[in-house]
Amino acid sequence: MAYAYLFKYIIIGDTGVGKSCLLLQFTDKRFQPVHDLTIGVEFGARMITIDGKQIKLQIWDTAGQESFRSITRSYYRGAAGALLVYDITRRDTFNHLTTWLEDARQHSNSNMVIMLIGNKSDLESRREVKKEEGEAFAREHGLIFMETSAKTASNVEEAFINTAKEIYEKIQEGVFDINNEANGIKIGPQHAATNATHAGNQGGQQAGGGCC
Amino acid sequence: MNKIRGLPPEVREPGPGVELGVEDGLLCQLLHSPEFNLFSDSVVFESYFIQVTEPGNWMDVCEGSTTMILGVTSSVPSLPLPNVLLMANVTWPRSRFSTQSTPGHAPVITLRRILPLKYVELRICDRLQRILRVRTVTEKIYYLKLHEKHPEAVFQFWIRLVKILQKGLSITTKDPRIQFTHCLVPKMSSNCPETTPESSLPSSSQPSETLMLQAAEQTSGSFSQLSSRPQLTADRSIDTAIGISSSIRDKTPLPVVSSVNLKVPMRATLQHSLWEQEDPDEHFLHVPVASSLGEHFLGP
Repeated sequence: MAYAYLFKYIIIGDTGVGKSCLLLQFTDKRFQPVHDLTIGVEFGARMITIDGKQIKLQIWDTAGQESFRSITRSYYRGAAGALLVYDITRRDTFNHLTTWLEDARQHSNSNMVIMLIGNKSDLESRREVKKEEGEAFAREHGLIFMETSAKTASNVEEAFINTAKEIYEKIQEGVFDINNEANGIKIGPQHAATNATHAGNQGGQQAGGGCC
Repeated sequence: MNKIRGLPPEVREPGPGVELGVEDGLLCQLLHSPEFNLFSDSVVFESYFIQVTEPGNWMDVCEGSTTMILGVTSSVPSLPLPNVLLMANVTWPRSRFSTQSTPGHAPVITLRRILPLKYVELRICDRLQRILRVRTVTEKIYYLKLHEKHPEAVFQFWIRLVKILQKGLSITTKDPRIQFTHCLVPKMSSNCPETTPESSLPSSSQPSETLMLQAAEQTSGSFSQLSSRPQLTADRSIDTAIGISSSIRDKTPLPVVSSVNLKVPMRATLQHSLWEQEDPDEHFLHVPVASSLGEHFLGP
């Protein structure tokens, strides 16, 4: 299906924080409690609408395990957005955020939008990381922040779509050079010939899922 | 080079690999399309497989059969061996698999996974049934039966690839001190009642690849129908033919995998075989596979 833009996303974070579950919830609207360890990259895709424009999200779900870390680094290239995920019930996954962020900053383009996600918000009784801590970390490092639950689907749509909105706004502001593929944005085939750098106006943004 | 006066523009004939559908196929086109733009300088060796259940009862995993494309390529074209495994799902949007190569019936190729080959073990599980076993380091096991539309030569190439990945080539180092980041395929014994690549390759009676190719080319017409290649001529047509479906996992069931031990996600000992000295009598391995899987893969 035709799209105006394609945004490449990468999902990063420690092993077991729920990266693959977030992707599955976003693309399939279902939760799978037991998920195989990811090695390499697994792909997902979904079409969303922002400001009346069809945007395809091409999502790269990466391995969180330390052994695969060096390989994961090679996938940052050309990502427009990153979901940096930790598990609110495991303090260590929060403590490792700085390392992940360093990796992301070092191996991606400087304009990449990063959404910090505290996942497993349904497990309130086992919480080890306060929401305020996540907010503070995000504020300190210039990230967007949300707590999500891949299990209940809470905020999952919003996490992916708000990241796309942020990217879209950057396109409109001219921050992203959409003709430079290193930015993780591609113009859809039918828009390539006619599209100017700026697309649409910022008002009245609408976002929603759809099929592609 | 085309600008040199007096020289005709370079016309590159499609190689036999293209005719066989193992090079420049739909997966390759998807990877090289603007949508992914991956490994754009590397050749992709790919084939259609049907996922089947475990040994002894080779049934299709799903009633509608799960067709997938398995491919290998190199992240850097200059690597002597491939180091990346690719898995893609194939669906026919309008009807079940058909050999009719009619417009509108082009398969939809959905890239599912990219795996470093060093975390994957490829084995020939059943040579007669043309079944390949793919095992990841996390003990996910796929049994993949080469699609019936592929001629025998294609499976011979997979046999050869497995052997190359296990033993290396004359041009690849055997020095264990040199740390390679690719293609060190774990060498493990298997529970699969398989024929090992070595035993499945009757070295003396093996027909030469040239002969295999000649035979294969006579049957490759059927494969071109499978791939619906004629419909893919430009980016635009790639976009229609290879559109990633919306909710990838909605429309294509996750491949069923056999998990040997879920509680031990990583094999405790990831022992990579050292590349061994190749058998000087093994004529298959004399052909360099540098630049990986291009024309050279098919041998002289």
